[in-house]
Amino acid sequence: MGLQAYLTLAAVVFCIGLFGVMTRRNTIGILLGIELMLNSVNINLVAFARYLGDVTGMVFTVFTICITVAEAALGLSIVILLFRVRRTVTADQLDLLKG
Amino acid sequence: MAGNGTLALAALLLHALAFLVLAIAAPLRRLGRPAGYVSILCAAGSLAAAVLSWRAHAGEAISRLVWTWLPSEGQTLATVGVLADADSTLMLVLVALVALLVQVYSLGYLHDEQPPALGRYYTYQSLFAFSMMGLVLAPNFVQLFICWELVGLCSYLLIGFWYQRPAAQRAALKAFWITKAGDVGFLIGIVMLWRHTGTFDLAEMRVLAENGAIPLAGLAVMTFCIYLGAVGKSAQFPLHIWLPDAMEGPTPVSALIHAATMVTAGVYMLHRTSWLFALTPDVLAIVAWVGAFTALLAAVLACVQNDIKRVLAYSTVSQLSYMMAAIGAGFSAAGFLHLLTHGVFKALLFLGAGAVIHAVGSNNLSDMGRLARRMPQTAAVFTIGALSLAGVPFLAGFLSKEEILGATLAGGFVGPFVLLLIVAFLTAFYMFRVVFLAFFAEPVVAPAHAAAGVARVAHATAHVETVVEGAHAHEAPHAHEPPASMLAPLWVLALLSVGIGLYFTVVHPEPEFTSPAWLMPIAVGSALAGIGLAWATYQRRAIDAASLAAAFGPIYRGALNRFWIDDVFERAYLLGILGFSRLVGWIDRYLVDGVLNVLSAWTVTAGEDLRTMQSGRAQDYVYGVAVGVLVILLWVQFG
Amino acid sequence: MSGEVLAFWALAIVLVGSALAVVLTKNLFHAVLWLALALTGTAGVFLLLEAEFLAAVQLLLYAGGIVTIMVFAIVVTERLVGERISQTSRRIGAGAVVAAGLLALLVRTVAQQRVPPTPPEMPGELTRTIGQTVLTQFVLPFELLAVLMLAGLMGAIYFARPDD
Repeated sequence: MGLQAYLTLAAVVFCIGLFGVMTRRNTIGILLGIELMLNSVNINLVAFARYLGDVTGMVFTVFTICITVAEAALGLSIVILLFRVRRTVTADQLDLLKG
Repeated sequence: MAGNGTLALAALLLHALAFLVLAIAAPLRRLGRPAGYVSILCAAGSLAAAVLSWRAHAGEAISRLVWTWLPSEGQTLATVGVLADADSTLMLVLVALVALLVQVYSLGYLHDEQPPALGRYYTYQSLFAFSMMGLVLAPNFVQLFICWELVGLCSYLLIGFWYQRPAAQRAALKAFWITKAGDVGFLIGIVMLWRHTGTFDLAEMRVLAENGAIPLAGLAVMTFCIYLGAVGKSAQFPLHIWLPDAMEGPTPVSALIHAATMVTAGVYMLHRTSWLFALTPDVLAIVAWVGAFTALLAAVLACVQNDIKRVLAYSTVSQLSYMMAAIGAGFSAAGFLHLLTHGVFKALLFLGAGAVIHAVGSNNLSDMGRLARRMPQTAAVFTIGALSLAGVPFLAGFLSKEEILGATLAGGFVGPFVLLLIVAFLTAFYMFRVVFLAFFAEPVVAPAHAAAGVARVAHATAHVETVVEGAHAHEAPHAHEPPASMLAPLWVLALLSVGIGLYFTVVHPEPEFTSPAWLMPIAVGSALAGIGLAWATYQRRAIDAASLAAAFGPIYRGALNRFWIDDVFERAYLLGILGFSRLVGWIDRYLVDGVLNVLSAWTVTAGEDLRTMQSGRAQDYVYGVAVGVLVILLWVQFG
Repeated sequence: MSGEVLAFWALAIVLVGSALAVVLTKNLFHAVLWLALALTGTAGVFLLLEAEFLAAVQLLLYAGGIVTIMVFAIVVTERLVGERISQTSRRIGAGAVVAAGLLALLVRTVAQQRVPPTPPEMPGELTRTIGQTVLTQFVLPFELLAVLMLAGLMGAIYFARPDD
């Protein structure tokens, strides 16, 4: 399969993830969408690493995975805290910065 | 002869010196009478210099003494200085003489004034004399205009001398504004003329005019604009309305400014530039007709006045118009001659009226009567003045008036000639009405038409003079001869009137035209007829004044209301100013403020609408970012 | 068709399908499970791309760790289980349009690029190479990553404090 196939696959997953971020009401649902987007980025990186013969792409995939893990952990803990304070995790109701 | 220009200059500068001394040295001015002495001293010196200058310029001698004032591109734009020739030095003598006599007279007339006010009065008098001489001797239009405006200022200051009186304030403003209207035209004319001929200088322009080097296209408009200045200053219709109201000022001021000198500036200016106006005969025709019409109008109005000064004021308007008519006919020398003689006897009449007012304490003819018994000298000089004005032979006014009548006829203006003849009759009539009512007739208790006139002409009689000595509608018991400071100028002027009259009778000047033989008898006859009618009506009471007035019904009513000309002006002014200010207010409220209010309202609304973009939800912002990225990508791909 | 192509298409279908399920399921818990499947599919893609180490890391950390965390979070917070999709998602139409548009543009961009015809040879021991590269060429990001982990750890401890 050519590079373009993998890139296209990554693009599809990215857009699906973006759709999820934009539409999900639950904050955890939004985080799920973000996971998908980050995943697609990883696919992109590895595909480029493979087809350009450079291992750098894979190295950065390791990095992004680590960062994603940290981000997911902290993000979810914030969601839990938010739930404790505001008794809700519905994104619609988190509009304290409303102008 | 060298230094002749300096004599004229000296005459001018002596008055300037007096003005500066009095203006700067405030303690001296506040002393009152000493300030007057300073001013009179300078005036006497000025008169001596003026007479010497006149003798030196008899004939064709011309002296031009100028200094460069405004430079322009290597040449000179305007100069200041003196242009002394036969006419200007003669006028200079008149100005100096009347100024001196009036200043001496004022010592007596204003002896009740507070010293600071008296000092102020003499400061203004000196300034006026200086400005008038600057006007007379002006070598170019620039200095002429500047001095023109200066004399207008002095007129304002002196009319409003008793500034605590509202009537005086109004009159001073009215005079200023009305003459200003004419001056606008004058200035426009001067500038246009400069562009047309390339110079302001009178001597240069005269050379150009006499060589035919001035293009005639459009010249009529310019001379007409210049004539407008004379219309304002010399009180021609319709800008004549300020002169009667100017009688609110002290009587010596009226004698100097509104009889002999300032108002004659217009006539003098036209005479000075007669070679220019000769190039535009159409404008001269307008001058002649307007002059004749104004003369008639003013003479009619003079017949119904109850205030002695107003009679004289309308008489001045009428006589100025006589001079204008002569200029319009093309013989400005006749007008100038009448200017000189009129200056003498009108000043005499005013000063005499001042003596009467001083004695009786009122301006109204109804408060006077039989004054000849108590004030014989005043009566004598006043009658001499009246006879001069009427144009009786052997006195000053006779020859000049006849010259004017002859000039209008010789110029081909038959209509104005007939009008002026009627005016001659009326002049004699109204003047002797005053003479008889004031000096010789028995005072009448509340005469019918005079009372009605008083009620109608309320404006003219609304002011109260300095002291009202109780007596009304019967002989003033406290009337007395004026003091020597007032009598002396009166006798000087009276003797001059007689002297000039006799001189002209003996040494008949060469007229520029030939008058028909029947002119003199008719002129004298109309004068005598007017005197006769006045005698019959007011002295003998053979004719009832009321029925005489009623015979002219509508004209009489109109005359009492000054033919509503003042009302027209006032209405137009109010409508114009009020209407314009309402328009401006509307524009300010609805257009200027409106635009601003609309803009601010739009800003607020736009802000409110844009505010909804900040929903506070992070998801919406992500949505916005995604849309933005999409747009950018689309633009990069397809843009 | 070669095995690679077949495997690719199979993995692609699994991945895309489970991704769609993640964003469209009404039950949030089911969404997490579908995410696990998607992550596993990604690991399969990595294997296909001859990145075995990464496939292992993916499965360990992603499919194992993150999914677990998510499940915990769902359990602790209020569960949102709706009968209709509108209760779990909003602005579906506009989002779909934007996402689709973006996808179209991305695919178009990708399709217009030139690609190397044959993939070059990968170095033999990939894991060793990755390890060496990390600790030599990219040691700075590595250390920074450690700092990040530390910060995350401290944050998590802070969040986990009981309310005083």
